[in-house]
Amino acid sequence: MVNPLNQAAQFGYRTAFGLFEVPMAGAQRLIGIGRIAWLFLLPNLVIFGLFTFLPIILNFFYATTGSDAILLSQRPYVGAENFASLLSCDNYLDPNSCRRDIFWRAIYNTSWFVVLQVGFMILFSLLTALILNRDIPFRGFFRGVFFYPVLLSPVVVALIWKWILQRYGVLNAGLEGVGLPTVNWLISADWAFFWVIFVSIWAHMGFYTLILLAGLQAIPSDVYEAAEMDGASRWRVFSRITMPLLMPTMVVVLVLSLIRAVQAFDEIFVLTGGGPGTATTLILQYIYETGFASRPQLFGLAAAASILMAVVLLVLTLLQLRATRSQAEG
Amino acid sequence: MAVVELEKLVKDYAGFRAIHGVDLTIEDGEFCVFVGPSGCGKSTLLRMIAGLEDISGGELRIDGERVNEQRAAERGLAMVFQSYALYPHMTVRENLAFGLENIRTPKDEIRRRVDDAARMLQIEEHMQRRPKQLSGGQRQRVAIGRAVVREPKVFLFDEPLSNLDAELRVVMRGEISSLHRRLGNTMIYVTHDQVEAMTMADKIVVLKLGTIQQVGSPLDLYNRPANQFVAGFIGSPRMNFLKMSVAETRAESIVVKEENGRSFEAAVSPEGVKAGDKVTVGIRPEHLEIGSERGHPVTIDSIEQLGGESYLYCTDAGGHPVTIHKSGQTRLRAGEEAQVFLPAESIHVFKEDGMALERLRIGEAV
Repeated sequence: MVNPLNQAAQFGYRTAFGLFEVPMAGAQRLIGIGRIAWLFLLPNLVIFGLFTFLPIILNFFYATTGSDAILLSQRPYVGAENFASLLSCDNYLDPNSCRRDIFWRAIYNTSWFVVLQVGFMILFSLLTALILNRDIPFRGFFRGVFFYPVLLSPVVVALIWKWILQRYGVLNAGLEGVGLPTVNWLISADWAFFWVIFVSIWAHMGFYTLILLAGLQAIPSDVYEAAEMDGASRWRVFSRITMPLLMPTMVVVLVLSLIRAVQAFDEIFVLTGGGPGTATTLILQYIYETGFASRPQLFGLAAAASILMAVVLLVLTLLQLRATRSQAEG
Repeated sequence: MAVVELEKLVKDYAGFRAIHGVDLTIEDGEFCVFVGPSGCGKSTLLRMIAGLEDISGGELRIDGERVNEQRAAERGLAMVFQSYALYPHMTVRENLAFGLENIRTPKDEIRRRVDDAARMLQIEEHMQRRPKQLSGGQRQRVAIGRAVVREPKVFLFDEPLSNLDAELRVVMRGEISSLHRRLGNTMIYVTHDQVEAMTMADKIVVLKLGTIQQVGSPLDLYNRPANQFVAGFIGSPRMNFLKMSVAETRAESIVVKEENGRSFEAAVSPEGVKAGDKVTVGIRPEHLEIGSERGHPVTIDSIEQLGGESYLYCTDAGGHPVTIHKSGQTRLRAGEEAQVFLPAESIHVFKEDGMALERLRIGEAV
């Protein structure tokens, strides 16, 4: 049987492999068959080295040198001066007393943001997961609805909410329509901070809901039936069965969301630009603005700040590794 | 005291009926076994009694009180699950105590009951371990212990031994039986294993496709199966079935005949059949006798010699498989022909609809 389509496919394969055959055979002769794996790893290693590993190394050099020059050869060595400048404060609880007051403001903003955003997001994710885990009508639909924001680009998320929250936005139009006073949501410092947390929870909670839902579904149903036979009240089932068995998943969710909250930048930058004033400026935005947006560009200071941030993230990452490992063992 | 009564109990799932109006009374202190092939509804029935499945119709009474609407925990039952369903994050002690804590039993009372159960089930040295650190048999004991500490009116067992290996199954079978003797509670036990049913039950309920086929004591079911399904299900190896027809009906027996003309007398009531009717003749492997002159010829396909007993797997002229169970050893070999004899008082006869004709004389010592 001669199938023309089949023949064409075979021809295509042969040509394609033929193209590779000569260089591959040559490479094998040249470096030996055992080292051929490196050839395939090379493109990725080059890209990783150039765009990830090299900048990490360079970052240390920038952090220990001064001036606004971009070439390392033109930058004078200043030792730990950048770190000292960042950490010099009369009173650490009062950003105004610090030499780099915006840095400290950003740290306080980030701390509050992390605590509130992570705390409420986990609470809402857990509640949502618990509800979606039950036999409710349109369950599949709701599971989709809660996950969709995760698929949106952060910039899109921010633009949607800006459209809702701006002075003549959807929300104020609605308030006006029912005769309530309007609020300039993104200009009032407290409201802006609230909305930054709200939007960031809205955008990310679907992801954590999904993880928690998977954790809930991994709990065998017969354990719940045994608890039912054992006469456990709903609250006891939740506190003595569901929560302990969900704990490993909760730890993973907690650490993952902590890391992401510390790194929060894009939605907030587009939504409020860190304002009003510095009310919603978080640490990553401070680093970006110090290093690139402000004049003079203080690369050294930005590099030092990002090393301090990296230390925090490293600790959180180690925690996460331990949590996932104990979950794999548990 | 706990009498469990099922009256026209029905379970409907969307578009299909799993249990078709079951009527059954389980007496106080009785060990009742639900047995049947998978999908017969035995587990569903148990879960309806437990309160884990809603009852679609009919009435469930425990000690005369309707409990259809009561929650599982309010019915005073305890259940041992097939998968054990132990709480994986709790120690054995916490597993046993959980049910008592739920009903706010005083601490020292909990301690006493848990310790008693642990001693009885010989799991005392494992009290601080978690289920994962226990063997299958130990987990099974913990699951039983969890039921025991609650001092329920009725124990429910859902295929509790099916995850154990054969040897342990025999041991646990004995332990559950002795638990029943010691506690004297009503127990309902679901299994697909007719050996478990035969060895443990006071009363066996054979189910098929959501209907009761027969209720009775183990030997009742063995000696007087109501229909061909029960006859084939109870007893191991399975009863032999041969297609024959009625040659003659007499006052207290009938004569059945094969196509080739050999006929056998069967000590069964002739009620409901007449000469010429097609019937299925059933005979248990241990009731076939070898070597008679006027027998039913079979060809031996293979032989299993266990020393104390032998199994001969044969085929007769009509192509029916015939299994013979013989105590002791045999000199016959595979490939040989043998003559088997069907004693009149050991023959079961089933009408075309599968229902048995009443046996009038029974060979077994009962």
